Amino acid sequence: MPTSIFSINRPLTANELTGRRRDLVRLGLAWLAMMQVMMFALPGYLRIDAGPNDSIEVLDWAILLMNWASLTLSIPVVLYSAWPIWGGLRRALKHRRVTMDVPVSISIVAAFIPSAIATVRGEGEVYFDSVTMFVAFLLTARYFEQRARQSLQIGVVGRALRALSEPLRTESDRVATVFVLTQMGFAFVIAALWWLTKPEYALDVLVALLVMSCPCALSLAIPTSLAATHVSLAAYPDMSKVERTQLFTRTRTVARQNLYGSLGWHILTMPLAAVGLVTPWLAALLMFVSSMAVIFNAWRLYRLPERMAKAPRRVFGSPRATA
Amino acid sequence: MEILYLLLPLSLFVVALIGGVLWWAVFSGQYDDPDAASLSILRDNDSTSTQTSHLSS
Repeated sequence: MPTSIFSINRPLTANELTGRRRDLVRLGLAWLAMMQVMMFALPGYLRIDAGPNDSIEVLDWAILLMNWASLTLSIPVVLYSAWPIWGGLRRALKHRRVTMDVPVSISIVAAFIPSAIATVRGEGEVYFDSVTMFVAFLLTARYFEQRARQSLQIGVVGRALRALSEPLRTESDRVATVFVLTQMGFAFVIAALWWLTKPEYALDVLVALLVMSCPCALSLAIPTSLAATHVSLAAYPDMSKVERTQLFTRTRTVARQNLYGSLGWHILTMPLAAVGLVTPWLAALLMFVSSMAVIFNAWRLYRLPERMAKAPRRVFGSPRATA
Repeated sequence: MEILYLLLPLSLFVVALIGGVLWWAVFSGQYDDPDAASLSILRDNDSTSTQTSHLSS
């Protein structure tokens, strides 16, 4: 019988239990705030400069109020929900080791601080929807991965999985860091060029580029793939060794696809931001689409053992695997 | 449009309320084990010899 990764199959220590609860509250609050912030961001998405002057004025006033509401909701997300990310950043700095938390926290700060300043000053674009969406998606992927890992008994399978996941994690950390640093350097160069020609757009373009440097899909690539594999293992505990090896090979492929696919996607969207075309709604949409693509690709991994059971030959193409 | 001065804080208040209820629900242990509720009747102590029968998880 397939078991849920959320059920507890062994006695948990008090610390583990509190950790589980905290993770769940952080996740729930991030999603709650994300949906509200999206709603508050909608008038900003729909704003166009055409129309009678007085109605634009009223709309801008409403947008400003909405921005304040978004700021109020984003603060708990950044300070409380994203707390594990700040903890990861602190650990990374302490051990002088680059992990995914470093580029992630750079992007959160790079999107949140300019948006907060724009809100207080009452002009400029805000990206609170991108910030909260990013935190919510990332926490979701990590939550699934952690629950799945907790539900797996430590044993041969657990060790094999760890051997699989460590190199993938290192690889994605490296890719994301190089990407974010390159992207930020690029952002400042482009902003400087805009400053020379049309200074009034320079700041908007800089912020848009920094938001686009958010490694959202990149940071989801590995956790989602691993979570899907974990879930498959937990759901089909009597998987044979051969099947497990096949699943692991497939996991590696899918994780790499996710990693380099989202890298390519990020690079493709860079020119858009560079010419000043990335508005907050587009940034949020791009982030959503790429994240969903990564999650869907990983979900195929979860379906793999089921397909393997039904039609082994079609999935793996080996004529021997029909047994 | 001045109604926004009332509606926006009101919506924030409702969000805070929902967040608080979520907090309470999670920390009261309701989501710890999603299987517990469906299995608790099976794990119930049915023996008649003991005086106190209680739910064990």
